[in-house]
Amino acid sequence: MTTFENQSAYRLIYVIVNFGRGSEVLRVTRESRISGGTILLGRGTVRSGFLNFFALYELRKEIVLIVADSVTAEKALEALNKEMQFEKPNHGIAFATAIETVDGSSELEDSVLAEERGDEKKMYNLITVIVDKGRAEKVIDAATEEGSKGGTIVNARGSGIHERSKLFAMEIEPEKEIVLIVAKRDKTQKIIAKIREDLQIDDPGKGIVFTQTVNDAYGLLD
Amino acid sequence: MRLIVEKLKEVFLAVLPIAAIVLLLNFTFVSLSWFLIVRFVIGALLIVAGLSIFLFGVNIGISPIGNFMGTFIVKTNKIWFLIAAGLVLGFFISIAEPALHILGSQVELVSSARVSSGSIVVAASVGIAAFLALGLLRIVYDVSLPKILTVFYGIVLVFSLFSSNEFLAVSFDASGATTGAMTVPFILALSTGISALKKNGKSSENDSFGLIGVASVGAIIGVLLIGLTSTGSALGAAPDYHTSGATSILGHFLDLVPSTVEEVLVSLLPILLCFLLLQLAPFRLSRRLVKQIVFGLLFTFLGMVILLVGVNAGFMDIGREIGYGIASRDSKALLVIVGFVLGLVTILAEPSVYVLTHQIEDVTSGAVKRRIVLFTLAAGVSLAVAFSMLRIAVAGIQLWHFLLPGYIISIVLSFISPRLFVGIAFDAGGVASGPMTGTFVLAFAQGAAQAVDGANVLLDAFGLIALVAMTPIIALQILGVMYKIKTRKRGV
Repeated sequence: MTTFENQSAYRLIYVIVNFGRGSEVLRVTRESRISGGTILLGRGTVRSGFLNFFALYELRKEIVLIVADSVTAEKALEALNKEMQFEKPNHGIAFATAIETVDGSSELEDSVLAEERGDEKKMYNLITVIVDKGRAEKVIDAATEEGSKGGTIVNARGSGIHERSKLFAMEIEPEKEIVLIVAKRDKTQKIIAKIREDLQIDDPGKGIVFTQTVNDAYGLLD
Repeated sequence: MRLIVEKLKEVFLAVLPIAAIVLLLNFTFVSLSWFLIVRFVIGALLIVAGLSIFLFGVNIGISPIGNFMGTFIVKTNKIWFLIAAGLVLGFFISIAEPALHILGSQVELVSSARVSSGSIVVAASVGIAAFLALGLLRIVYDVSLPKILTVFYGIVLVFSLFSSNEFLAVSFDASGATTGAMTVPFILALSTGISALKKNGKSSENDSFGLIGVASVGAIIGVLLIGLTSTGSALGAAPDYHTSGATSILGHFLDLVPSTVEEVLVSLLPILLCFLLLQLAPFRLSRRLVKQIVFGLLFTFLGMVILLVGVNAGFMDIGREIGYGIASRDSKALLVIVGFVLGLVTILAEPSVYVLTHQIEDVTSGAVKRRIVLFTLAAGVSLAVAFSMLRIAVAGIQLWHFLLPGYIISIVLSFISPRLFVGIAFDAGGVASGPMTGTFVLAFAQGAAQAVDGANVLLDAFGLIALVAMTPIIALQILGVMYKIKTRKRGV
């Protein structure tokens, strides 16, 4: 295990792209000496009055998670940005958050680590919200009201201590939704406050919210 | 906007191959009248539009209803409710299926009314009802799919030993007919709604599929029983085509609209009732979701009507003409090859196939790619159509010559192939036989049978659906075995 107490030298890269392009992301990052990644399916919000009128709110997305040391991560993100053209609307977004420890990847442990650079522009936060299935839209609505530009929803399972665990002969874990929202630093607090209020997060069994600092971000158009 | 353009593009590419092949055939082996060709092209365009709208509708309307229904049924945690829901849903979904009624009336026709259309329809529906309930029980009590399928197909085998050849064909056809374009997405969503709750991730993924496969066995057994009870019913009267009297191109399409609207409405009705029932349930759906589902149902309805009008008015007659033309050329090999190719391209445009392959991607987080499943399925179906042509061209080949070994292989494979693929495969059997195969390929087979001496138009066409429902089961399970071998970690 490799651990770094203060300065985190590792990054977890999130790349959110349209369905079907996840494998392309992995291919591009492989050229930047990244050994692998994990793809999740998610749903992104659609902002179009015309489509929303016809009750078309969502688009299938793929979320690619990649772990890398900070130097490699930065290079990979730049290469990705060049290839996938995140600056154009609807081409997806990519960002990285700091993580503490990495296990299980021999390549990462062997790689030479560079010093943390002094001035990184940390302008964004990643807000993660986990709620019961069917409530993700409400989370995104709340966030949008406070100035967020959208979010990505991932289906998940899980159970807190407040939920029943067996129906018939099958053990169950109730369905959940994870909402990922990238927000500007100055808006983060407001967005969280609004989500906590609208979804009564502070009541038992209503879900959890946490934020992480985003180190690099591409494709966020504001 | 991009959302719509991409869907249209995807669907257009799915319909393009069949259009290209038909036009190619026109310039090579059979020359068709321009009247038929214009109708065919209009039909193809209608299918592109209809299928796109339908798929949006399924996505935002039918699937959510199925999902909620599944979760709702299980969350009551009452066994009687689960069984009752399975019985009621199964019966009404099946009895509302237009394809089943068409099959029933064809049987009535060829049996000179000794077997009534109603008895076939009711027998198949009761069968589906019973087995849908059993299928639901299987999911919640964690019974393994291969075991339960072995038992069920064992029962089918015993019954079919006592059954006439004709009834064997009819009963396997009935299983394909009951799982139409509307019910497939609903039943799929129902089972994912239940299995998504499961704690064990692997079994949750596995149990998302297989419910359609189990339910279709019910229809086979139901109809076989009818055959056993109505003794001495030799089938075999001359068939009678009803052709539209319209002479204008537009007339052909417009003539079909009223009956299609009625058909689609009836088959949507059970799902609509489920939706209303959910509204009465203790947990309320949000207003946005209700709006979404209402739009979804509207899209499903509209899309299906456009699609069916397109297929029936544009594809039916040309299919029959091509079949007749190819078979008249007196080359058995040619007939088999053309059948193979048509099977390959028709399945690409089949609505339920879309729904199934997308569902597979969702459940496996994209690990099992849509395209691979689609091509495997197409390969299976094309073999089925080729076999059917062989059966028409060569006298003396019986349906069970294919069915018996086919299902034995299917059952054996189900113990070898990964669980996920077993479920997918048996579902795909019901999925492959939708409106496209049921009209275009069937019409092609009937046309071919008409041209071949000693082939009976209706009897030889019976059994086509049965084969189309069988070969994908084998093909997809083989794919599963290949996946198992390929995904073993290398270099560890």
